Amino acid sequence: MDRIECQWCKAQNEMGRTNCTTCGAPLDTKDLVTDSGWAEAPRLRDMTEFRFSNSTCQIEGEIVPVAEIALAQGDSVFFEHHVMLWKEPQVPLSALNTGGGMKRMLGGMPHILSVAHGPGRVAFSRDASGEVVVLPLHPSMELDVREHAFLAGTHSLTYSFVRIQGLVNVLHGGGGMYMDRFVTQNEPGLLLLHGYGNVFQKTLQQGEKIMVEPGGFLYKDSSVTMNAVKQNVKTGLMGGHSMYLAEMTGPGRVGIQSMYVHHGSD
Amino acid sequence: MTMPPAQAAYTCPYCRMASDGGGGTCPACGAPVDLRLKVSDSGWVEQPPIRDLAHIRFGRSTCQVSGTYVPVAEMALHDDDWVYFSHHVLLHTDASVRLGTLPLKGGWQRMRAGMPLIMMRAQGPGHIAFSADAPGETLAVPLSAGRAIDVVEHRFLVATGNVAYQWQNSNIWFTTQDGDDEEWHYPLGKTIDQFAATGGNGLLLLHAPGNTFIRDLAPRQRILVQPSGLIWKDQSVRMFLHFEYPHGQYWFSSSRYQAKATWLTLEGPGRVAIQSVFERPEGSGYVRRTSGATTQQW
Repeated sequence: MDRIECQWCKAQNEMGRTNCTTCGAPLDTKDLVTDSGWAEAPRLRDMTEFRFSNSTCQIEGEIVPVAEIALAQGDSVFFEHHVMLWKEPQVPLSALNTGGGMKRMLGGMPHILSVAHGPGRVAFSRDASGEVVVLPLHPSMELDVREHAFLAGTHSLTYSFVRIQGLVNVLHGGGGMYMDRFVTQNEPGLLLLHGYGNVFQKTLQQGEKIMVEPGGFLYKDSSVTMNAVKQNVKTGLMGGHSMYLAEMTGPGRVGIQSMYVHHGSD
Repeated sequence: MTMPPAQAAYTCPYCRMASDGGGGTCPACGAPVDLRLKVSDSGWVEQPPIRDLAHIRFGRSTCQVSGTYVPVAEMALHDDDWVYFSHHVLLHTDASVRLGTLPLKGGWQRMRAGMPLIMMRAQGPGHIAFSADAPGETLAVPLSAGRAIDVVEHRFLVATGNVAYQWQNSNIWFTTQDGDDEEWHYPLGKTIDQFAATGGNGLLLLHAPGNTFIRDLAPRQRILVQPSGLIWKDQSVRMFLHFEYPHGQYWFSSSRYQAKATWLTLEGPGRVAIQSVFERPEGSGYVRRTSGATTQQW
């Protein structure tokens, strides 16, 4: 039987579908890839609906999209509690202890994540214009995400956080002290991120490098290494100027956002 | 020869005003005509952005909304018509437009609440344009004679002269304990604006960051929303605070403090509008006093 492969998440879909059942990406439009190889994250059509486990997720709006999730009995999602836009009164909430409370407090991260349990509806959005990026994670995948970028993760994902190695990376990397890490075990999971502006993804080969603005980094496979590298710029009689870029080394995917805060020029 | 049937009257699903529906956009609020309703599975209707360069009529004047990221509302004011607005939303004006001030009562309280002390008024003839400072949607809310709505502060863009404006305390607050200090929080803002069409039909323009969704609540139907996500509501909709404390494995993760969810309960009947951008809720800590709230311990 003929199937259509989603170019974003590689899931197989039935013929005739216009958007992927796993990540909502349009199947009937050509992928947008720049000449240098950055693939634009699929712009999810308004009211796009896709499934995970027995639940559904619908993306609404195109300036600051809302992810509305209809949770089935037995399904749950976790999130930072301040991204909930609305919920039905009967949806129970619980707290997910992340561990490392003092470290997270120092890193400016919430040390408790909230969990919403089905059945019922709950909706999430962030605080600026951008895109919801849907990343289905297949079993045994590890993804590192810039802190405060994740919108919601499904119950089958294991959440942890990792310290960004190296003082230079912490001070000049633009990503704070920690990154969120999402791991799948035997079951696939679904991760929703919010990227400010537009989001682009590139897959690096083994040893391939790319330099990115540290504030623009959004996510990467854990196999990709990230280091802050100083760039010296001579400005003639006025002396020197330096800035830092994040050097990403493959193999794996790297995701960046087009709206960011630049840190670390001196 | 058979004549085609006369076009049935069209009632806009967003502003509920009737028109002939022939112009492509609703002449009262600018919403596209014939657009398939975008309704989420849960019942929120996405308010369609006003089509670029759509015309809206009021009095003997027109308003044209242009742009899609941070829309501009440009008005062609007739001699007899006037509008009022906060001075910081004025983008450009013809020299022929007569600008003046519209004094407001309660200056000291408005200053404390961070609200502008005066409104400006603009009288035709001429063109004048307004825009806000965030990517989002400009909403036209036509008010039929006698209708009044409550609008969250800082969402107001411009209103026609026959729309009466007043403001009052939102009466949505809570306090938290911080050592010996008691900290006050106003999740909806300290005040709330009220607009009412008194002298015939009026037009109110609002600007909301992000996308906008509206929903009609049935009598006694409740929904929990982020307080700073509310844009406007019918005055028949009740609102009060609701605190939820998620259950955690340990005492410190039972989140009486950090992960407490502060909601605004909206109870029908009536229409409510929310935006997808909202401020991070403030006020971690033990809730001591409230303006009236319900609590749920999960």
